[in-house]
Amino acid sequence: MRRLAIGFIPLTDAAVLVAAAKLGFAAAEGLEIDLHREVSWANIRDKVNVGLLDGAHMLAPLAIASSLGLGHVRVPLVAPFALNLNGSAITLAHPIYEAMEATGHDLSSGLGVAQALGDVVRARQAQRLEPLTFSTVYTFSTHTYMLRHVLAAAGLNPDRDVRLVVVPPPFTVESLRSGLIHGFCVGSPWNAVAVEAGVGRIALLGPEIFGWAPEKVLGVHARFAEAEPDVLRRLVRALHAAAHWSETAANHAALAQLLSSPEFLGLPADVLARMLEGRLNTTQAGQPRENPDFLVLHRDGASRPDARHASWIYAQMVRAGQTTYFPADARQAEAVYRADIYDDAMSSPAMGAPPAARPVGDPVNTRFGEPFTSENIEDYLRRIRSI
Amino acid sequence: MTNDPGLKIVIVDASPLRAAILEAGLREAGYVHVMRLAEHSNLLARLHAIDPDVILIDLEDPSRDVVEQMFQVSREVKRPVAMFVDQSDSSTIEAAIEAGVSAYIVDGLKKERVRPIVDMTISRFRAFSRLREELEQTRTALEERKTLDKAKGILMKMKGLDEEAAYALLRRTAMNEKKRMVDIAQSVITAADLFK
Repeated sequence: MRRLAIGFIPLTDAAVLVAAAKLGFAAAEGLEIDLHREVSWANIRDKVNVGLLDGAHMLAPLAIASSLGLGHVRVPLVAPFALNLNGSAITLAHPIYEAMEATGHDLSSGLGVAQALGDVVRARQAQRLEPLTFSTVYTFSTHTYMLRHVLAAAGLNPDRDVRLVVVPPPFTVESLRSGLIHGFCVGSPWNAVAVEAGVGRIALLGPEIFGWAPEKVLGVHARFAEAEPDVLRRLVRALHAAAHWSETAANHAALAQLLSSPEFLGLPADVLARMLEGRLNTTQAGQPRENPDFLVLHRDGASRPDARHASWIYAQMVRAGQTTYFPADARQAEAVYRADIYDDAMSSPAMGAPPAARPVGDPVNTRFGEPFTSENIEDYLRRIRSI
Repeated sequence: MTNDPGLKIVIVDASPLRAAILEAGLREAGYVHVMRLAEHSNLLARLHAIDPDVILIDLEDPSRDVVEQMFQVSREVKRPVAMFVDQSDSSTIEAAIEAGVSAYIVDGLKKERVRPIVDMTISRFRAFSRLREELEQTRTALEERKTLDKAKGILMKMKGLDEEAAYALLRRTAMNEKKRMVDIAQSVITAADLFK
């Protein structure tokens, strides 16, 4: 048995890792996974960097930012497995949502929500009120890019018309209650936690903004991938099997039960089961909003790292002003997503038929606003006036 | 003692005891502007108001991700902040992470000026965790002592033994069973409870 130390943040999309470690999928590959619960993405990055962790549940943009050396020392990471797509939502404080309802826009559509938010922000500006403040959990996160996309679609400048801040998940509910922030875009289960606490309502589910947004990956240090390719392939196979099990509807109740344990998420199993099924209550009173793609753990080839997702993330970094566009950086970002390692691991006859390829066209399935063209990033960046 | 008494240092640590120990160390070393922040709400605005040169933060504090937001050019902070260490400092990164602390400095501040602060932080964090371990060991030893005494009392009462013989019986059983005496003592207590 080869022991591996793997870090995770208590979020619903740690599901595949937890299942792999606890339900025998790792053991079947001769691996023993010790899960280490961490409190910040910075810790995850640093512990993988110094080797205290062999790998971790990681925000896909964090893996890319670290590899490019954005905002921190350069830590070359590789992502040989996508732990999920989607899983996020935007939650707003009640008074903001009520003001949006009064604008007359159709709040059942993504674009309608964006337009209503734009109207509310502009009305506040006309009255010289304080700008609205929205939070995400980390600057290099899909949540940040989603929020900025919505704001851009609303005709707003995310850096000028609102304030974007970072609030760690455990503080989001209190921050929304106290009025420190007016809304947030975070991963599951924190939107549901805020809704249950009655401090806000879910305005938009992630897949209503991008149908297939990259979210968490397994991130490992490049030196580990080089030194122990066989161990990494076994880990990828274990995760693949765990992801397949986790996405099967009949297993959702058992998975939610496992995740609800205090050593993982420490939240009620029924709330977690709703996340897995894509049935979210948007208010404390209920008002469910359903979307089968709310959290995609495996299906349609979701586990295979798609380099086009890495290039979308890189483009969003440029769009957000986090870095300046260089074609070489774009290629380096794409190279973080290692489909070759995944394919290598899957080539074992025991793995059966190769997974379905990701759909062609816009790799993130942009629901409104400027669609992404992975075959021509520069053209995309010009269209959104980022280069 | 120090070249930079004027550097503004902020300690973000949920453990008031450890923060106090670190603050005392830094003050002894001659740093006069040392502040402690334990409250999380509005951390960024408070850091902005203080405008520190160095931020020391406990690794168990989720607010590290808030501090890292300052890497991004933002109107919330006057000056961009970067972690003090560069690639060449990997042993310091490692030492800091293992000690459970992270350091950030204002961009452009020379490494040599910050080095003594970081070294002291690492050594105080280590000393604190040793202290906590020792405390934990003492507490465990005390608990075990109590368990042994209770089991001895039960044996003395039920088997009519004196204290020495009760102790010898526990020890002999532990050796035969290849278990720790405290585990045998616990079994005696559990069994006695069942027979009550």
